Amino acid sequence: MTWREKLRLHKSNPLAALYPSSKLLVVLLYSFCTMLIGTIKVGAGHYPLWLIPWFLVVPVLCAASGIFKRFCHAFTKVLAIVVIIFVVQSLLIPDKVVVWQLGFLKVYQSGLQSAIYLSFCILNIAGIFVWMFQTTEYKEMSRALEDSGMDYKAAYVFISTLQMINILGKNSRTIMNAQRARGVETQGNMLVRAKAFFPSLVPLILGAITNSEERVLTLESKGFDVKCKKTHLFELERTGKEPVVNVISIIITLAVVVWRVALWVL
Amino acid sequence: MEKKKYSIKEDFSMLAILIIPIAVAVNFVGGQMASLLKLPMYLDTIGTIFAGMLCGPWVGAVAGGLTNIVTGIANPVNFAFIPVNVLAGLVTGFLARGNMFSNWWKWLISMVIMAITSIASAAPIVVLVYGGVTGSGTSIITATAMAAGANIWAAVIGTEGVFTVLDRIISFAISILVIRVIPDRTLVKYGCGANYIKKKSATAQSDKK
Repeated sequence: MTWREKLRLHKSNPLAALYPSSKLLVVLLYSFCTMLIGTIKVGAGHYPLWLIPWFLVVPVLCAASGIFKRFCHAFTKVLAIVVIIFVVQSLLIPDKVVVWQLGFLKVYQSGLQSAIYLSFCILNIAGIFVWMFQTTEYKEMSRALEDSGMDYKAAYVFISTLQMINILGKNSRTIMNAQRARGVETQGNMLVRAKAFFPSLVPLILGAITNSEERVLTLESKGFDVKCKKTHLFELERTGKEPVVNVISIIITLAVVVWRVALWVL
Repeated sequence: MEKKKYSIKEDFSMLAILIIPIAVAVNFVGGQMASLLKLPMYLDTIGTIFAGMLCGPWVGAVAGGLTNIVTGIANPVNFAFIPVNVLAGLVTGFLARGNMFSNWWKWLISMVIMAITSIASAAPIVVLVYGGVTGSGTSIITATAMAAGANIWAAVIGTEGVFTVLDRIISFAISILVIRVIPDRTLVKYGCGANYIKKKSATAQSDKK
C-alpha cells in the first residue's frame, strides 16, 4: 500500500461509503417526498398523518449506515426545537374546533394540523441532512465539490472555514481568560456582560486579520494563484453501488408522486 | 474613487478569500460568546457585517451564506436562515460601497436599514417555516405574546425587532472598532477599505488589489 492509498478513507459500511453526490440526490428527493406527503390529509381531522410513519425512514437509514449513536447525539438539538414548535402551534393557534381539553389548555384542530405538518416536515428534512453530514467527512465534501466543477478556491474557502472555526474558538478562550485576568468582568447584570463582549472579540478579529496577510504570502509562494491543473493528495473512490442507490431513490420518489396524484384524481 | 468597469470577480481577491473563513468563524465564535455571557441576542452576524463593510457586498453575502451552511451541518434548522444572513452581508456591503459609514448620522441610517432588512427577511421564515418559535431565548417571549392573544406576525416581529436592533448595534460597533484600528496600509488592500481611511491622499488608491 503506497502512502497515497493510506490517505484515502476506507469505510466498511456500504451506505456510508457512497459518493457524496449520490447522498445529495437521496437528500433532495427525500425532502421533496416529505413535502408531497405532507399535503396528504388523513381522517376526519384532516391531519397529515403519513408524515409520521415516513419519518421512520431516517433512523432506519442511519442505523443501516452504522451511525445511529452519532445521529441521536446530533438530532437532540433538532428534537428540542421541534418539541417547542409542536407545543406552541397546537396550544396557541385559536380555532373553533377544540380537539382535546385539559383544564385551561385547549388543543385546537387547525393548530394541531399545522403542528403535525411543521414539526414532522422539519424532523424529516433535518433528519436526512443529519444523515448526510454524519456519514460524510469534510474533506470528502470539498473534494466532491471540486470534482463537480466548483472552483478550487471555493473548495479551499470551505475547508479553511472549518479549520478557522477551531482556531478562532481556541483563541477566543485564551483572550477571554487573559482579559478576565486583567479585570474585565464577565459576570453581573446584562450591561456588564455586554461590555465584556467587546474586549474579547475585537482583539480576536484583529489578530485573525493580521495573520491573514501572512497567509496570503504563504499561499502565493506555494502557487495557489497559478493557473494550471491542480493535483490532489486525497482521492475519492466510488463504491460502484451509486447507480443502484440513485435508481432506487428515483423509483421511490416516482411511487410517492403517483400515489399523491392518484389520491387527487380518485 | 476612480471610475472603472466593475466586476464581481475583482471583489474576490486573495485577501478577500481569506476574510471569508475569518468572518464565518467570527460569526460562530460571536454566537458562542453571546451564549457564554448569557446575552439574550444571537450576535452571530458580526463576521458577516465585518466582511461586508470591508470587502463589499458579494464577499459579505458569501460569508453569510457559508456561515449558515456550516452551522447547518451540526443543526440543519439553520439552513432555512441562509437568506437572512446573505441579505445582511449584501446590504452592509452596498452601504459600505456607498460610503454610508463615514459619520454618525450615516451610521444611524445604515443601522436602521440593516435592522429593517434583517427583520423583514427573518420574520417570514420564522413564522412560515417554524411556526413562530425557533427554540432560542427570544422564543419564550414570542410564545408568551402569542398566548396573551397577539397575532403570530405581530408577536414575532415585535420580539425579533427589539433584539435585532440591539444585535445590530453591537455587531456594528465591534466591526467599526476593528476597522478603526486596522492600519491604513492594510485597509487599502480591501475592496471598501479606502472609505475608512481618514486623510485621503489626492489620488485614491482604492482599487489597488
